[in-house]
Amino acid sequence: MDASENQSPTVPHSIDDFVKGYEEAGKLRGFRCPNCGLVTATWGLACSRCGRPDLEEAELSPRGCIIACTILHVPGNEFLNDAPYAYVVVELDGGGRITGWMPTVRAETDLKIGERVRFNPSYRPGVQFIKESEVPPSG
Amino acid sequence: MREAWVVGAASNRFGKMKETGREAATRVSLEAIRQSGLEPKDIGYTFVANCFGIAEHQAHVGPLINNGLGIPDTPSVTLESACSSSSAALHEAFVHVAGGFDDAALVVGAEKLSHMDTLAATSYFAIAADYAFETMNGATFPGLYATLASAYRKAFPTTDEMFGAVAVKNHANAARNPHAHFQKEISMATYLASPMVASPLRLYDCCPFSDGASAVVVAAKDFMKKPVSEPLVIRASVRSGSVTDMQDRPDLLGLPATRTAAAKAFRLARMEPKDIDFLEVHDCFTIAEVLALEDLGFFPRGTAAKESLEGVTARDGNLPVNPSGGLKAKGHPVSATGAGQVVEIFEQVNGLAKGREVPRTRTALAHNVGATGGSCSVHIFSRR
Repeated sequence: MDASENQSPTVPHSIDDFVKGYEEAGKLRGFRCPNCGLVTATWGLACSRCGRPDLEEAELSPRGCIIACTILHVPGNEFLNDAPYAYVVVELDGGGRITGWMPTVRAETDLKIGERVRFNPSYRPGVQFIKESEVPPSG
Repeated sequence: MREAWVVGAASNRFGKMKETGREAATRVSLEAIRQSGLEPKDIGYTFVANCFGIAEHQAHVGPLINNGLGIPDTPSVTLESACSSSSAALHEAFVHVAGGFDDAALVVGAEKLSHMDTLAATSYFAIAADYAFETMNGATFPGLYATLASAYRKAFPTTDEMFGAVAVKNHANAARNPHAHFQKEISMATYLASPMVASPLRLYDCCPFSDGASAVVVAAKDFMKKPVSEPLVIRASVRSGSVTDMQDRPDLLGLPATRTAAAKAFRLARMEPKDIDFLEVHDCFTIAEVLALEDLGFFPRGTAAKESLEGVTARDGNLPVNPSGGLKAKGHPVSATGAGQVVEIFEQVNGLAKGREVPRTRTALAHNVGATGGSCSVHIFSRR
């Protein structure tokens, strides 16, 4: 049986679709639970809060507010040449939270919880944010 | 269900091992069995934790350990639950023994990553987070715990010294523990001067990468005719899970898995936090110890960091926490950590923790977290 036959028609995308969404389509993809209303940016086949299996696809807002953050001075393998950079948890305007990185924020004094940020689609991996006021860097 | 005891427990020195995880696991297993007064042939099942065995090009290490112990016919299985792998193995041993499937079971955890460079080791650790949605979005383990620390510091009045007190205390304890990776005290000034790894976490907020091995023998009360050591009665052995990703947690001021595991463990043990004499908690970072103490119910929310600075959690304080030195300073050989916490409790109860004794050893609790809290184990022990 083809794997796609297992999937609910309302949840067409794979983890790879999420990743391609960040990098190619410039979209933050997610799910909305029709039962409890949870909005999530994490792949799954059922709601992580109430267990309902028929999640609906949702495009998440590209803007939001930082609720937790750090400046990473020691990076992992995938971000070797990027440190220091900010790693943030963002509460998105239309609901849902997402984690991402901010290559242009490099010092503790340059970032605060509560600051407004927006998604900056990039050829680089993952979800990249910049400050809402910032002009997107070229490329 | 019948009463199950920890009847033997042993660790090697955490830090850098010359020998392989397999050799170290076999050695500490034999020592734990010796302490129990049992013989290897009494072991009905071996539960192994060796999360990153693949870094040593070795999977399926359980039969090799059993072969080395002279019990090749004994069944074994390897369990993986990130940093809580060997407490997960302990839970399985408890289920087998308390449930009557085996009279005695061996739990052994071992890890060796020191032959790899820091970057490779960091990358191995990072695969225990959500690789697609956290690691590839820029996270590291210190980074994930740092976000929790930032939320805590935003919510509650917290000074650098409050986190520093956790580090200074755990180094002081580890300095008296021959199993510890770091056997050196640090001052608050040393802590404060250490470089940022992931703000607000400094180098001395973080546990080291350690090699190490720990083993625990669990046996049924009615099987232990002549325990050689003072056994630990397992009053509760609880595992829990929680939504894994930071981005899906409604509350960043604690680990939900710790809260659910603790509530169930206290209920099963018919105890409350005030009944516990001392603790070994999962302090991979100083913020993790602070959150653990609040999530387990020992301190109201937002107060554990302050209590740490006031010395309440010191070895001679009202509630000794991590007399071993914890993951922070005793070291964190991922798969040996949970069993290693039980080794400390066993040594405290048996008078083997010379120079770092806690005042009261009637009851103890061990708390072990998998990664950033997708898994959690809580075990409560008492003397007979």
